[in-house]
Amino acid sequence: MRRLLYLIQEAFTSLRVNRTSVTIGIVTTAFTISCFGVFVLLYDNLKNLAGTLQHDIEVVVYVQPEASVQVVEGIRQRLDSEQAVRELSFVSKGDALKEFHQQFPDEFTLLEGMEENPLPASFVVQIAPGFQEADSIEAFTERVKQFPGVEQVRYSQDWIDTLALLVSYFEFGAIVIGVTLAVATITIIANTVRLSFYARKEEIEILRLIGATGSFIATPYVIEGAILGLCGGGLALVLLKGMFEFFRLELNASGWFSGLESVLTFFPHETSVFLVLSGMLLGCGSSVLSVCGLMKVRNDAA
Amino acid sequence: MIQLFHVSKFFERCTALHDVTVRIEKGESILLTGPSGAGKTTFLKLIFGAEIPDEGQILVQNRNIARLREADIPYLRRTMGFVLQNFKLLPQKTVFENVVLPLIIQGVSRAESKKKVGEALKSVGMGHKHASQTGVMSAGEQQRVCIARAIVNHPIILLADEPTGNLDTELTLEIVELFKNIHARGTTVLLATHNQTVVEKMNGRVLHLHAGRLVSDKGPTA
Repeated sequence: MRRLLYLIQEAFTSLRVNRTSVTIGIVTTAFTISCFGVFVLLYDNLKNLAGTLQHDIEVVVYVQPEASVQVVEGIRQRLDSEQAVRELSFVSKGDALKEFHQQFPDEFTLLEGMEENPLPASFVVQIAPGFQEADSIEAFTERVKQFPGVEQVRYSQDWIDTLALLVSYFEFGAIVIGVTLAVATITIIANTVRLSFYARKEEIEILRLIGATGSFIATPYVIEGAILGLCGGGLALVLLKGMFEFFRLELNASGWFSGLESVLTFFPHETSVFLVLSGMLLGCGSSVLSVCGLMKVRNDAA
Repeated sequence: MIQLFHVSKFFERCTALHDVTVRIEKGESILLTGPSGAGKTTFLKLIFGAEIPDEGQILVQNRNIARLREADIPYLRRTMGFVLQNFKLLPQKTVFENVVLPLIIQGVSRAESKKKVGEALKSVGMGHKHASQTGVMSAGEQQRVCIARAIVNHPIILLADEPTGNLDTELTLEIVELFKNIHARGTTVLLATHNQTVVEKMNGRVLHLHAGRLVSDKGPTA
């Protein structure tokens, strides 16, 4: 216990004595972890967005203009019996016209000259969970196309697929950038710890002389690296949270992508803890790498 | 206690020790003498495992130094005390903090450490200075602290490399007295020096080295 206390005390003394290089180490570590964090944050939000869109996926079944009431009712009954259908609503020709008017008030004049409402009636189908995969939806639409009275079936899978592809690119990018930045962080912390080691070379020689083991000598540096990484990770988290809130406010103020700001989410607690702990682990790893040479006790003392 | 069998140690441009054979018994007082570069420091370094002999064998407390694993060397060193010419103290730490260090390394309890440090400092006449910073002390005081650190753990062997090299005659005599007291308590003392006064006052067995060779081995005068 006393030994452990001594080692912790030595680590803090070293941090205090080398505060300039330690501060630089913490800031650069925070910067590199933040860069990785931005990527993870983007990936996380895109994944969430893709998931939300996938959940709200709609299939629109357009009815032939000449279809009778019985035919329309037949389509409804057959759609109702489909397991893939979670919710079903009917949009009549009149409803479609009203909707068009509401969504595109400026373009409404285009329809004014027409004698008959050209917009078709349709069924809007919400897909049930478990049938939201691309293959299931495609099979469902193929079946629905065969129903008598169905003119056309449309759904937004194409761009959802594109988004999913984008998410997978981000996933790959996050891995590549993560590994690159982890190497950068290890190098930064290892150099900081090495500087601290050289500053205390004399002390280390004395410790070796009086019978300190390699692990006893190395432990304060490993603790130092862990604290440095922990502070870097913590600072990165604060920076990321600040940047995230700023971005959300700016997005809200600009009015672009209205509603998107409410969908954006910061890291869950577990990811935040993981980010800070990964900084600490990187710090530990860097220290171990930089001080493993300290284990050598021959040809050194006196 | 310590045995060297035909030990040689070569460095890139010189032979530090050449075919040295000697046996040192427990409780002996050994004075390693010879001019600079004679091999005195190498002799000591071989005993505490900082160097490995290129030829021959060294047994310290029945352990073959050359075959000792790196991980075992710190444990060998814990049975020894070291006093060096340049003191090797931590200047930013107090006298107490310097002397207690070997005990912290060995995991000795706080209460026992306090007692042992107190005894060691008292024996070198530094009991009243336990809270002083070593960095601001005189050379004589620093050497006393260094000796206290070396004996705090009651070592079996005390190695000293030119311990009076930085001291004037008066302080040298005081330090010699401390070594004589330590030896009188049964510790095996190996002291490397080229100071004739130290050799005369210690009155121990004198091993004289020259160009890495052991040229004479004389017992203490009656």
